[in-house]
Amino acid sequence: MMQKFAPLTKLLLTLFITLWSIMLQSMTALGLLIAGQLLLLVASQVRATVYKGIASLLLFAALLAGIQLALSGDTTLAITTALKMTAMTLVFFILLATTRMQDLSIALVSQCRVPHEYAFMLTAALRFIPDFLNESKAIQEAQACRGYRSQGNPLKRLTAYAAILKPLVLKAVSRSETMALSLELRGFANRRMSSFRSRVVLTARDYAAVMVMTGLSVFILNFC
Amino acid sequence: MSAITVQNFSYAYQHPHKVLDHITLHVESGSFTALLGPSGAGKTSLCLAVAGAIPHYFGGSLSGTVTVGGTVTTDSSMPELACTVGSVLQDYEIQLVTMTVEEEIAFSLENQGMSEADIARCTRETLAAVGLTGYEKAEVASLSGGQKQRLAIGSVLAANPSVLVLDEPSSALDPEGTATLYQLLGALNKQRGLTILVVEHNITQLLPYADQFILLDQGKVVQAGSPETVLTTMWTKSITPEALPPLWQLKLSLEAQTGCKLAAWRNEQEAIDELMAVLAKEARHYA
Repeated sequence: MMQKFAPLTKLLLTLFITLWSIMLQSMTALGLLIAGQLLLLVASQVRATVYKGIASLLLFAALLAGIQLALSGDTTLAITTALKMTAMTLVFFILLATTRMQDLSIALVSQCRVPHEYAFMLTAALRFIPDFLNESKAIQEAQACRGYRSQGNPLKRLTAYAAILKPLVLKAVSRSETMALSLELRGFANRRMSSFRSRVVLTARDYAAVMVMTGLSVFILNFC
Repeated sequence: MSAITVQNFSYAYQHPHKVLDHITLHVESGSFTALLGPSGAGKTSLCLAVAGAIPHYFGGSLSGTVTVGGTVTTDSSMPELACTVGSVLQDYEIQLVTMTVEEEIAFSLENQGMSEADIARCTRETLAAVGLTGYEKAEVASLSGGQKQRLAIGSVLAANPSVLVLDEPSSALDPEGTATLYQLLGALNKQRGLTILVVEHNITQLLPYADQFILLDQGKVVQAGSPETVLTTMWTKSITPEALPPLWQLKLSLEAQTGCKLAAWRNEQEAIDELMAVLAKEARHYA
């Protein structure tokens, strides 16, 4: 379902939901916002891996609520904060799971006037997440062979993790230099990105969605 | 006609430490040329000079010229040179920057400002050329090492360059993947007339396809010519003789010990055929 909307509409949806999450204070309203987003994901038939990510998000939200409760002792505040964070983050799942990165990049460049280098950074960063995780796993295994153990209290674990982090960051920096070179070799400096503009053009459906989102914002501003 | 001409070219990333020292060579159009030599010989730097990354990307000090397809690299920009020279780096995975296979091919074409319809047609043709038809929607991260290597080649081939430069393309591949890769490069060289310049340590895999070898050592050209000439020089001058294919180590040892001259073997079958003929002749002689 969400795949039928233009990337710009989904970017606007992200912006609106972030605003609504900030404006809404009622747990019921925030709960409805989260439920609505989950319905959108189900209707969009996203991949199962997306739901795994959402499960991790909910776990993190629960942890956040627990910390907030421990620090402030205010149950309402703790739950509201966790709900706000969940609502704000869920919309990124919708955006990323239902939009081709290339289309998002085109929309950012041609409709949001973002310089193409910055738009490209977004897509490239997402492309390299699996590589980065594999790299991290390989370094952990290599360091484990040299006696690295991630055990003990959180502080000890954090200190020990430097043994993973240092080579990981150095390798990432080195690879980013190679990537810059390869982009130059592929003529990236001349990139115009005009070819696929037709793929991100707004249709009547998109204009209707923007009107609905604006109307909802006015309603929330006046009545919530 | 010369596809690449290097004329008295010297280069230092930081003056005065030269990595290339008075290099002069010619690579014929449509040839399959291999750059050989020990580590630190200047092979990668020479590839980067042909692609224009030296000096446009790395700066440094240079003298002499590198001409590719009639254009002096210093007189052109890297995006302009990218239309003539396709480069596949040693770390080819980092060269793949998009989420899916078809987006990767389209990326090069978009850089050229090609229309959507042309990009779709070119993507289909390129994926067929590198044997990745059916993988259009596949995520790059899900491909095997060999498939990623072929995609990296496809991503530069899509821009329709006349010269393809590859820096140790088989360094992260298994023997089967290496054989498949060189079959592909051989086919592109023969069928498309693509000029190929490849840095490679695995000479055995190159032998059936390469028609010119260039041996570098300490930034200088030691020998350039037919595989036979260069491999013999490596043997006689002891420049990384360990890198010689076992078949050639045998051939050159036999020649040194028996004094007989054997043909330039490109594969095991050619060696078997010639040795059987020699043995049969010897048997007849003693009979």
